[in-house]
Amino acid sequence: MINVEKLEKAYGDHLVLKGVSEHIEKGEKVVIIGPSGSGKSTFLRCLNLLEQPTGGTITFEGVDITDPKNDINKMRQKMGMVFQQFNLFPHLTVRENIKLAPVKLGLMTREQADKRALELLKRVGLPDKADVYPKQLSGGQQQRIAIARALAMNPDVMLFDEPTSALDPEMVGEVLNLMKELADEGMTMVVVTHEMGFARSVATRVLFMDGGVIAEQNDPETFFTNPQHPRLKEFLSQVL
Amino acid sequence: MQFMSFVDWLAVMPGWIQGLPEGLQNIIYQIFQTFIFEDRWNTFFLSGLKTTFIIAIGALILGVIVGVLVAVVRSAHDSKRTRPGILLRIADFLCKLYLTIIRGTPVMVQLLLMGFVIMVPKLGSNEATWCAIITFGINSGAYVAEIVRSGIMSVDQGQMEAGRSLGLNYVQTMRYIIVPQAIKNILPALGNEMITLVKETSVVMVISVQDLTQAAKVIVSKTYMAIVPYVSLAIIYLVIVLILTKLLAIFERRLRESDKR
Repeated sequence: MINVEKLEKAYGDHLVLKGVSEHIEKGEKVVIIGPSGSGKSTFLRCLNLLEQPTGGTITFEGVDITDPKNDINKMRQKMGMVFQQFNLFPHLTVRENIKLAPVKLGLMTREQADKRALELLKRVGLPDKADVYPKQLSGGQQQRIAIARALAMNPDVMLFDEPTSALDPEMVGEVLNLMKELADEGMTMVVVTHEMGFARSVATRVLFMDGGVIAEQNDPETFFTNPQHPRLKEFLSQVL
Repeated sequence: MQFMSFVDWLAVMPGWIQGLPEGLQNIIYQIFQTFIFEDRWNTFFLSGLKTTFIIAIGALILGVIVGVLVAVVRSAHDSKRTRPGILLRIADFLCKLYLTIIRGTPVMVQLLLMGFVIMVPKLGSNEATWCAIITFGINSGAYVAEIVRSGIMSVDQGQMEAGRSLGLNYVQTMRYIIVPQAIKNILPALGNEMITLVKETSVVMVISVQDLTQAAKVIVSKTYMAIVPYVSLAIIYLVIVLILTKLLAIFERRLRESDKR
């Protein structure tokens, strides 16, 4: 589904991604972990070109999205993204947050989008919050709305950029549970996170990034019980 | 009849006015001369007020359109992390040139240039009003542009990313997500610009547009008495500004609805 070839990203002289190649299949749940500054968020943000790669190619559903001739806006409609800071639109109600993109992009009528928004709110467990503004919600609730907003576009893949890092500890669970349910329904997911428990129980594959490359990857069981790379051993000993 | 002397006037007044002290009679006479005689409240003040409003509102609309466009070009240019394309750089250069010229010259001078060099409307006609609207619109646009740009920059970068990640393009994200939030942040500054604009239109008399200020001036030239027309003029502007301030406060409160917790 997503094929990344020799992906490079540099800020000035500083090389953040040093030629990452990776293939993600439909239905996979790929969790990326690694120390801060390892390039894992940059890698994720390159997948939908929020960061413009400086080298290499990314192919999504057979289309080379790094080719400027291809319309990235069209491709992004199929790639949902959830941010660390939620990034809900504060001037719109929850319902309008969810409806905005499908309606303005002409994918649904207002009525269809409204129906879909209410379905999604039920889906994320917040059916009574349709007409409140984001600031009236807790962090966990906001993040669940952000997930609903991304789902409203019926994406083929969901990208999560540290979705629980900005949350109070008691709200992490509700967001992770929702993500788990999504995974169980067969959604293709790429998740950057520090939640090792989530990686262990949900991932089909775990990647360890360090210094701008994927240093090691494996199925979660082997990854956590039998790490090979010395940096991964050190990292796991610190976080587990 | 162009003029009615104090004595003639007093003769046709009812008895209770004739019984008042002379100082008071004089003031009432001046008020009569300024507003009531020959229906001047209507033919001068009301029609002048209309012209002032037409110019101010027209210029405001034009100014906001020009300002938002310039601000979007300027912030698109500045937000690019890589070197922007040639078209964007040309557009940005033109915007900067526009800002420099407009903000570097007095609005009075711009009005004279528009009125007697560039557009040259027939004096005292509708064309002259249009000329005033365009001049003030272009002038105001430069100030609005910088206000809007500061508003756009005040919106969190994550909002743009969230919009783009949903598949909206740059312009759609600006229109539906960034600019509405920016407007809320800059409303006080924008209101200030609007108030300034209303007051600045008082110089349109140099291209002989019959606005409120011109109306008062004509009355003074007819009556040879300056106090009542000019004091009234000041009061009318003050009242307009007070009403605008109040309306803005209401509008702002409504926009702040989404800030409730």
